[in-house]
Amino acid sequence: MGDIVLEMKNIVKEFPGVRALDHVNFEARAGEVLALVGENGAGKSTLMKVLSGVWPYPTYEGEIIIKGQLKQFKNTRDAEASKVAIIYQELNLMPELTVAENIFLDREFSNALGVINWSKVYAETQKLLDELNIKDFKPTDKIKELTVGKQQMVEIAKALSINAEILVFDEPTSALTDKEVDALFEIIMKLKKQGVCMSYISHKMDELERIADSIIVLRDGQTIGEVTPVKDLTIDQIISRMVGRDIKDMFPKKTFARGEKVLEVKNFEVDHPVLAGEKMVKNASFSAYKGEILGIAGLMGSGRTELVTGIFGALPKESRGEIYLEGERVKIKSPMSAISKGIGLVTEDRKAVGLVLGHSVVNNMTISSLETVSNKWGVINSAKEKKLADDYVDQLSIKTPGLDVNIDTLSGGNQQKVIIAKWLNTMPRVLILDEPTRGIDVGAKVEIYNLLNKLVEDGVTVIIISSELPEVMGMSDRILVMFEGEIAAEFNREDAAKETIMEYATGSRRRGE
Amino acid sequence: MSTTPVNTEKKTSPGSIAARFLKENGTLIALVALGVFFSFYEEAFFSPRNLTNLLRQTTIIGIISVGMTMVILIEGIDLSVGSIVGLSAIVVTLLMQSGINVWLSIILTLILTGGLIGLWNGFWIAHYKIPPFIITLGMMTIARGLALTLSKGGSVPVTDPIFPQIGGSYIPETASGIILGLGLIFFFYSTFRTMQQNKKYGIETNKLDIGFSVFIVLSFLALSFYIFTSYRGIPYPVAIFAVIVFVFAYVLKNTKFGRRLYAIGGNEEAARLSGINVYWTKILVYVIIMALSSVSGILLASRLNGASPNLGNMFELDAISAVIIGGTSFAGGVGTIAGTVIGALIIGVLNNGMSLLGVPTFYQFIIKGLIIIVAVWFDVLSKQKKA
Repeated sequence: MGDIVLEMKNIVKEFPGVRALDHVNFEARAGEVLALVGENGAGKSTLMKVLSGVWPYPTYEGEIIIKGQLKQFKNTRDAEASKVAIIYQELNLMPELTVAENIFLDREFSNALGVINWSKVYAETQKLLDELNIKDFKPTDKIKELTVGKQQMVEIAKALSINAEILVFDEPTSALTDKEVDALFEIIMKLKKQGVCMSYISHKMDELERIADSIIVLRDGQTIGEVTPVKDLTIDQIISRMVGRDIKDMFPKKTFARGEKVLEVKNFEVDHPVLAGEKMVKNASFSAYKGEILGIAGLMGSGRTELVTGIFGALPKESRGEIYLEGERVKIKSPMSAISKGIGLVTEDRKAVGLVLGHSVVNNMTISSLETVSNKWGVINSAKEKKLADDYVDQLSIKTPGLDVNIDTLSGGNQQKVIIAKWLNTMPRVLILDEPTRGIDVGAKVEIYNLLNKLVEDGVTVIIISSELPEVMGMSDRILVMFEGEIAAEFNREDAAKETIMEYATGSRRRGE
Repeated sequence: MSTTPVNTEKKTSPGSIAARFLKENGTLIALVALGVFFSFYEEAFFSPRNLTNLLRQTTIIGIISVGMTMVILIEGIDLSVGSIVGLSAIVVTLLMQSGINVWLSIILTLILTGGLIGLWNGFWIAHYKIPPFIITLGMMTIARGLALTLSKGGSVPVTDPIFPQIGGSYIPETASGIILGLGLIFFFYSTFRTMQQNKKYGIETNKLDIGFSVFIVLSFLALSFYIFTSYRGIPYPVAIFAVIVFVFAYVLKNTKFGRRLYAIGGNEEAARLSGINVYWTKILVYVIIMALSSVSGILLASRLNGASPNLGNMFELDAISAVIIGGTSFAGGVGTIAGTVIGALIIGVLNNGMSLLGVPTFYQFIIKGLIIIVAVWFDVLSKQKKA
C-alpha cells in the first residue's frame, strides 16, 4: 500500500435547511483506487466540490490534508495548484476548440507579450497522449468530433497536464460503451502504476470489483464505517451500508383495494437524444392499476425519467411504443394530447421545467386547465379562477401569503403542492410524479405522501419515480426497477427487499435472475 | 392601469399607498413629468391642436408596438416591422391603382403582407426553432426589396378619393365627446361587474387597486375630453389605435391566449409540459404583429396620400424602444400593453416637445438613446431590489 496522500477530516457542509455533509472522514493512498459509493443525494458530489475548491474555505468545516499539509482552497485554481483534478460527469470541454486548445486552455505556452507558441502546445499535447497510449485522436481534432469516451480521455490528459496526484472520477462510465469502459480502465491501471491517488465515484458494483482497491460508503452525508479493502467486502455488505436506515415511520402508506387496469404500456422505446442507435429506454412494458401507487426505482440515468416523459408525449420524435388507457389504444404526440386523455406529469426539475418562475401562484396553478375557469370564447373569469385556487390552497394546506404573490417566494414543499394542484385541476386519470419530494424538507415530504394516499383514494392511478429507495418502497404497492433503460425487475410491496432492488438497480443482478 | 402579473403585498398607511402607486406607475409618472416640463417651457405644447397632432403621430409606431409587446413577451423579436410598413403601403396603393375597390384592397393587403408574411416568419421560428432575430432580419431585407421591386423604386400616388380620409379625417367633436362619455360608462360598468363576480365567488376585492384605476382612467378621460372636444375631434387613426389597444390589452389580461403568452415567455418548456400549444401560439403572435404593421403602413399611406418604398425605415427600433420603456422584459414573460402605450407616448412627447423647443435633431437622437438606457437600467435596479 502507498502512502496516505489525501485525508478528509470531519468535513461538514450545510445548505439552508440541509446538512449535506455530516462529519465525513476518509483517507486515500498513492497508487490506489478508492471507490466512493452511496445513493443519489448521499453527498458524494458535494464532497467532491469541497475537495476541488468549488465550495471554497470557509463555507465548510473540517480539514483537507494533502501530503500532510492542511489545505484551504479559495477556488478551483488553488486546488489545481495542489494537483487535485476532477473528471466530472458533465464534461467541461469547449466543443468548438481542438483537443490541445482545451487541454492548455488559458495555460498556453506564450512569450512575454502573450503570443502563444502553438507548435509547443501541440507538441506537449501529443506527449501527453503518447503517455496515455492514446492513438484514436490527434491534438488537432475538434472536441465535438469525438465520442463521449474520447472526450473523457481528453479530460484525463488535461488532468495529467497539471501533473495531478489526486484524480477524482465522478461516475465516469455512465455515458460510455463497453469498449470505451475497457479503454478507460486500462488508463486507470496505468495511472495507478505511476502512483496517482484516484477516487472513483460509481453505483455500478461490477465495475467496483474490477477497478477499485478499497471502498468507502457515504450515506446521508456521513461516512459509514471506514475505508475497507474491496476484497474484504461482499456486495451485500456494501449495499446494506448504503441503504441501512429505519424508515417505517416516515411513510404513512395506506393500502386500498386494487381496481381495474388503467394504463398499459407495451414495448416502449426512447432513443438517446444525441447518440444515434443508442437507446435510453428499451422494450419497456408495464401496467398501472386504479387504487395503487406504482413505484419506479433505479439510479439516475437508468431511463426512468425518459420512460415517463416519453409516455407523457414530451419526446414525440425519440419515443415509440403502444399505450393503452382503460383498454383503449391511444396515440400521444404531445403533452397537450396527454393531458386531454387524462395523464399528468409532475416533472423532476421543479424550477427549470415545472414552474413559471416570476409569475403568481394562481397563474401557475391554472395554466394547464384554463378551460375550467374560462367561457367558450376563451375569456378567463378571474374571480372564478381565484376561488378555485383558494380552494386548492385550503385543500392541500399550501402555505402562501396570497394568491397573487410570486411563486418564487414559496418554499420548495409548497411550490410542489402548487404543481400538484395544477395537475389535480386537469382531472387526471393517471398522475405521474418524477422525484416528487426532491429538495423538500422532511415535514413537507410527509405531507406530500399523505396527498398521494388521498389521490389514490380518489381513484387516480399514481406512478412515482424516486432516487430514494426508502421512498419508493415506503409508498408503492408495486415497484419496477430500471437498469440501463430496461425494466430489470418487478416486485410487489410485500416481496420487496432493498438489497435485492439495489442489486437489480446497479446491474449486479440482471433481468430474470 | 399598469397591471403586472404579480401584485405586491397590501399595506394601508397613506405613505405606503403613495409609495406603491409611484412604484407601480413609474413610467406613467415619467410621462406626466415630461408633459409638465414641456408645457412649462413651451406654451404651444399643451394646446389641443398640438396634442391631437402628437397623438396622431404616435399611433403609427404605437400600433406596431402593441404587436411588438406580444412578440417580446414570448421572448422573441421582430425586426421586419418597418419594412412591412413600407411594403404594405406600396401594396395597398398599387392594388387601388389597378382598380380594386378601396376596402377590398385593404383586406387583401392585410392578408398578403400581414397574414402570409407572418405565417412565413412564424413557421421558421416555431418549426425549425431558428432565432427570431435572424428570420425577421432576413424578412426585413426581403420586404424592403419587395417594396422597391413592386414600386420600381419610385413613389405610388393614391388615386382613390376615399382612401386619404382614413388617415386624415376626424370624428366630429360632439360625437367624440359622446364616445368618451360612453367609455366612462363602460368603465364603471365593468368595474362594477368585476366586484360583483368577486362577491359571487367570495373573493375579496382589492379596494386600493380599484381606487388607482378609477383615478387613472378618470384623469385620462378628462384629458382626452379636453383635447378632442376643443379641436376638430378624434382623428381616425387615433380611434383605430385606441380600439387595437383595448382589444389586445383585454386579450392579454383576460383570455386563455393571453395567459399562454405570459407562460411561454416565462418558461417555454414548462409551458409546453403544461399542455400549451407553443407551436401555434408562436405562429399566431408573429401573424398578429405583421397584420398590425400592415395596418400602420396602410394608415401612413392614407395620411401621406401616397406610398414610397422607404416608408417605415427604422420603425422597428422605435417600436422596440416603446415596448422596453414601457417595462416589458426582454427576457420574456413580463409586460403589459398599457405600459407600451405609455412608452410610445413618452417617445412621441419627446419628439414633439424637443422639436417645439427647437432642440437640434442631432441632439434628439442622443437624448432618446439615453432615455432607453435609463429605462432599462431602472428595470434592472428594481429587479435587483426584489431579489
